[in-house]
Amino acid sequence: MVRTLECPNCGGTVELKYERTINAVCIQCLSVLDATNPSLQILQKFEGAKRYQPKIPLGTRGKLQGGQYEAIGFQIRQIEVDGVTYEWSEYLLHNPYKGYRYLTEYNGHWNDIRTLRALPVASSKGSKPSVIYGGKTYTHFQSASAVTAFVMGEFPWQVRVGDSVDIKDYVAAPESISSEETEGEVVWSIGRYTNGAEIWKAFGLKDSPPAAIGIYSNQPSPYTGRIASSWMTFTLLSLLLLLTVIGVAIVSPRDQAFRQTYTFSTGNTEPSFVTPVFALKGAQASLQVQLKTDLSNDWAYFGLALINDDTGTAYDFGKQVSFYAGSDSDGAWTEGNRSGSVSIPAVPAGRYYLRVEPEMEKDGRPRRMRYELTLQHGAPSYFWFVLGFLGLLIPPVVTSIRAFSFENRRWAESDYGALVQSSSGEDD
Amino acid sequence: MFRHPLFGLYGLLLIGASSVASYRGFSFTDVNTVQGVPKSVRDNPGVYRAIYSSYHRYSGGK
Amino acid sequence: MKSVFCPSCGAPVTFRWSSAVQTVCPYCRSVLVRHDVNLEAVGKVADLPVDPSPVQIGTEGIYRNKAFVVTGRILYAYDEGRWNEWHLLFNDGSSGWLSDASLEYAVSFLHQLPQGIPPAHELSRQFKINVDNVALEVTTITRARYEGVEGELPFEYWDKTDLMFADMRSADSHFGTIDYSENPPLLFIGEALDFEDLHFKNLKLIEGWS
Repeated sequence: MVRTLECPNCGGTVELKYERTINAVCIQCLSVLDATNPSLQILQKFEGAKRYQPKIPLGTRGKLQGGQYEAIGFQIRQIEVDGVTYEWSEYLLHNPYKGYRYLTEYNGHWNDIRTLRALPVASSKGSKPSVIYGGKTYTHFQSASAVTAFVMGEFPWQVRVGDSVDIKDYVAAPESISSEETEGEVVWSIGRYTNGAEIWKAFGLKDSPPAAIGIYSNQPSPYTGRIASSWMTFTLLSLLLLLTVIGVAIVSPRDQAFRQTYTFSTGNTEPSFVTPVFALKGAQASLQVQLKTDLSNDWAYFGLALINDDTGTAYDFGKQVSFYAGSDSDGAWTEGNRSGSVSIPAVPAGRYYLRVEPEMEKDGRPRRMRYELTLQHGAPSYFWFVLGFLGLLIPPVVTSIRAFSFENRRWAESDYGALVQSSSGEDD
Repeated sequence: MFRHPLFGLYGLLLIGASSVASYRGFSFTDVNTVQGVPKSVRDNPGVYRAIYSSYHRYSGGK
Repeated sequence: MKSVFCPSCGAPVTFRWSSAVQTVCPYCRSVLVRHDVNLEAVGKVADLPVDPSPVQIGTEGIYRNKAFVVTGRILYAYDEGRWNEWHLLFNDGSSGWLSDASLEYAVSFLHQLPQGIPPAHELSRQFKINVDNVALEVTTITRARYEGVEGELPFEYWDKTDLMFADMRSADSHFGTIDYSENPPLLFIGEALDFEDLHFKNLKLIEGWS
């Protein structure tokens, strides 16, 4: 039953669609009118007021969880934090059987809000104040004084531009609980974070919803639950890696291709010599060259070349071994190691010999060293598994860092600031 | 693993690659190779000249 | 159901509730008070404004597995509009109230007045009281006017202009109202409910909504 009346301020047509309407706003001049008064007494009027356009046109019906609701009223509300004014849109939705409900929008973030029948209980757990409702703990996010800056549509209660209420927001994404308090009344409500796309679909709106900017107080983190499960996956993969290490250790052939003990003395004789030819069998694998010396307070350098007897290809490498020991005021000390080993990667099968050229200090004093040379083909290099393990750490660590960064950005907008202050002091 | 198929796949590939690299003995450190070493090296090892020179000799003690 | 006739206009008046103290003649809007078998017309009430509530006299519902029927109502007006207190007659003969302020439904029952309810001028929003181990807190203090009555009610017609109500809520959906229209005040205790919880039947059809 639409009542068509004339605005006493501008003479424009005012349509009253809802029987419960107490205050209505003239669509032409934005005057707030008393809808219970047959002559539509003017309650508030403005000149040159800034006009806002609701993104959900008033009169549009949408199917939300719990039934059909029609957008009947629209408000812009503002809070001021550190001298900066933030404003959000609030839509009043109505179903003549089920009552009222609200949608809020801030920077493309939407919330579907209902008033609470039961009172949340204040809790003293944690470092920030919180309330418990329905078994869930909601952490205090922000307290502010919200002022109505613009109204449009029909309202079943008194509404004026300039109305001020004290708001306290508590969050537990994707929900938030708010209290709106005036002298005579406190109203608690619960909001559920909703994507613009869901709102657009529910109300059959054209085009696409405005993109969400930043992170909203009760926006669900895309990382929720992913942290634990990514560490779980990491644990499973690590166990698999461990099993693989054991498997490789068991399966890897370890052919001792050559072993011989030599003695080296400094002098004028040619120091280099070659070993007999030996065969490396099986698949391409690393060749580990081990040198065990009897050095004491001395060093030796081994110039080494693994030469393929058939092709003439040589692997050229060297190894220094040194061992010093003594004692001083701190007690006995040692430095270095009498043994050393070199691993030559990916040596294919074939017939090889080793050219060895030992070298020791040439200070004129005669030196002598005994050493054992062992060649092992196919010894796995476990270093790769360490690398693999580090590689497995990357995804859960990255997920954890991102999750923390998300929460940090969420809380940066709260009364408490970011969880960790960035070095520049202000998180955008 | 089932909630993170990409991570699972990445992990399996990583384990596989580690195993192959380990088994094959791959290394980041390259060993110089020389082609066409003459057979005569076996008879006279002194003629072999390594490509690299012995640029650094540790000779310290405490 | 007993049928009697309106002493004012002669129209038949039906009682759904044998214990009703008063009713309003649906034809001439005379307020009729029952004296044993006779009806006495004690006054007239103005036509009530069009009521936007989906609840009407005759609406049925279920609360806590007990069926009820709406027999009458009191209409209040306050700054923010109007609301109804619907009188409920339960199938066990008990009587209760359904409030529909801003379409927020609450069912409540008259409760014995406990110690510690302050007089109207001392009541503040900070007031808290335990009733039957339920911690209630005042959430709204409303000053209202009486706008009219309809149907069968458990008391005699009265006409008070300045009324005060303190609505209270608890952490578990309990609901309470201190009604300062009488001295000592009346206490109603009940529960806040969603529309769906009440399983209404025979609601008023609202055009354009199913």
